[in-house]
Amino acid sequence: MIKKPELLAPAGDLERLKIALLYGADAVYIGGPAFGLRANAINFTLDDIKEGCEFAHKLNKRVHVTVNIVLHNKEIDGLIKYLKDLEEAGVDAVIISDPAIMKIAKENTNLEIHISTQASTLNTEAVKFWKKFGASRVVLGRETSKDDIKEIMDNVDIEIEAFIHGAMCSSYSGRCVLSNFFTGRDANRGGCAQICRWDFDLLDENKNHLKGEKEFTFCTKDLSELKYIPDMIDLGISSFKIEGRMRSIYYIATVVGIYRKVIDEYCNDKENYTYNSDYEKILRAVANRDSISQFFLGNYGKECQYYNGRVEVSNQDFLGIVLAYDENTKVATIEQRNYFKLGDEVEFFGPNLETFTYKVEEIIDEDGNNIDIVRHPKQVVKMRVDTKLYPNDMMRIKNVLTK
Amino acid sequence: MKLLIMPNSIKQVNELLENIDGIIVGLDKLCINMPYNFSLDEINELITICNENDKEIFISLNKNMFNKDLDYLKEILLTLDSKNITGIFYYDIAIVNMKEELNLKVDLVWNQEHLTTNYLTSNFWNEHGAAYTALSSEITLDEVKEIKKNAKAKLMFTAFGYLPMFVSRRHLVKNYLDTFNLKDNSKINYITKEDKVYQIIDTVDGTIAYSDKVLNAISEVSSLDIDYIILNSFSIPNDIFKDVTHMFKNVNSANKEEYKEKIDSMLDTYLGFLYKETIYKVKKND
Repeated sequence: MIKKPELLAPAGDLERLKIALLYGADAVYIGGPAFGLRANAINFTLDDIKEGCEFAHKLNKRVHVTVNIVLHNKEIDGLIKYLKDLEEAGVDAVIISDPAIMKIAKENTNLEIHISTQASTLNTEAVKFWKKFGASRVVLGRETSKDDIKEIMDNVDIEIEAFIHGAMCSSYSGRCVLSNFFTGRDANRGGCAQICRWDFDLLDENKNHLKGEKEFTFCTKDLSELKYIPDMIDLGISSFKIEGRMRSIYYIATVVGIYRKVIDEYCNDKENYTYNSDYEKILRAVANRDSISQFFLGNYGKECQYYNGRVEVSNQDFLGIVLAYDENTKVATIEQRNYFKLGDEVEFFGPNLETFTYKVEEIIDEDGNNIDIVRHPKQVVKMRVDTKLYPNDMMRIKNVLTK
Repeated sequence: MKLLIMPNSIKQVNELLENIDGIIVGLDKLCINMPYNFSLDEINELITICNENDKEIFISLNKNMFNKDLDYLKEILLTLDSKNITGIFYYDIAIVNMKEELNLKVDLVWNQEHLTTNYLTSNFWNEHGAAYTALSSEITLDEVKEIKKNAKAKLMFTAFGYLPMFVSRRHLVKNYLDTFNLKDNSKINYITKEDKVYQIIDTVDGTIAYSDKVLNAISEVSSLDIDYIILNSFSIPNDIFKDVTHMFKNVNSANKEEYKEKIDSMLDTYLGFLYKETIYKVKKND
């Protein structure tokens, strides 16, 4: 059997951390209360981090914390204590882009150090520098190609982490301050306002409008390396990273679940592995934007651009999450996440479950009343489902594959 | 305080030589975001000019490097190390590693554009050969002063010019034109938003974009304790840049407001982030 890479998932809070690990991630990366690049996400408190680490370690899995802010003078003072607190909470690794933070982490903790993609590490010499200075892993810049990655791995003995799925920066990481200029929000300190998704008029050198059917934007499609997972495994990349700490539990469960299957199917039986296009359809169904493989194959041309600006499809496929299941009565307790009603055909899926379809024939509310529609956010209802379900299994609309 | 310019030609260097202490010039194929990419022959000519006139010369190799660039980069570093130059601007830390591995004696300038925002990291790179730090333009004047108090490296402060705000490997203008079957051979393009106009350029190494206004910190520099100030000639008409350089060379507390007004009358200027701290948390995390 081929050595499996780590599947590394994003988690914006404890619920998402647990879902990511239960659905097949080997590790999660999270933002702490400070020094991360998602300042406007909910982020974890130190107590949350401790609880998350305990949960992960019981499953023999890992927690990485982003400390990848671009440091300003006023942030220097709190750093040592913060890093020590992370170590005490049980964190396995910190993801850092600023070498001053790395130096402090090395001098004051035994935390494993991963170099963030924010450092835009793109070549062998840069990776050598980070290794020499004590990093155990480098998250490569998303602009690296398959050949770049291979050459780096052939020349430096260090763990390499690469993105496989999610949103892309249009710029080199760290080299975009559009957000600073347009909104005063600091892109390199977690305040990015995603100006890349704004529409602009493009003019020629004489300031005549170059008008296409849609307006100019910096924006790119999302990344999906689904088809190239076998190539990435064969390269020996240590960790496959999914982007999206602000994504929903449904998105995380679905994306992690699909990549878990692909990695397992390929590593367990490489000779008989075939690409399953249904997986691609499911990934497409949970996304709100188009996705494509990009720099891995050296592609960064027009097919990678996304000209629909901030228009994103709101996904309402996720209908509910299983809270409990009574094997004697075969009654599932389900918390609603989107509107559903009697007669709907739905699917249940989960980490320990073969996906199956089900027609909603009876719904009972918390007071024991039969109801026709589940319309209230997070409403808890009971439904008889003959197939055994587990807590954290999910219910979605039936036609995901045909969307 | 020394005055450096980023020139757009050898001719401009010769014209401004008496008003400057040195130049920063980008080497073609290894730089980005510079007013002009000079060939190695031109760089050699500029080194001679600067050496003969007792001026400092920094070479900018400030693009993000890929493995395909490394052989040429190594060759250039070895070549430049044998010349009488003042320092090398770097963005990619491949250059730091090569300096250490090849035992190069040339000084480096930490020039990671938007990341040079604190003294601790400046001191880290100083231990790895960066005798100079070129400060980010997205920090406040107070932050600049605090860095100056605590940094071991000599500091460079951009005082004039359009500010770079975006670098991508992607060819964003070409991609747009190709997508919508538009024809255009402009050397420079513009994007507009709410009546503001920004320069955007599709280069062989990707796309770069600049601020809509010109930073003019002439009234700040006369009282600023800093080692170098940088004037960037990118997209500034030569005659205006000549006047601006002359004014920066001669600015003092008595004439700074007069000079500021003169420059402001010639160009659409502003003070960038010098008095405007960027924010990064717009809502409280509970």
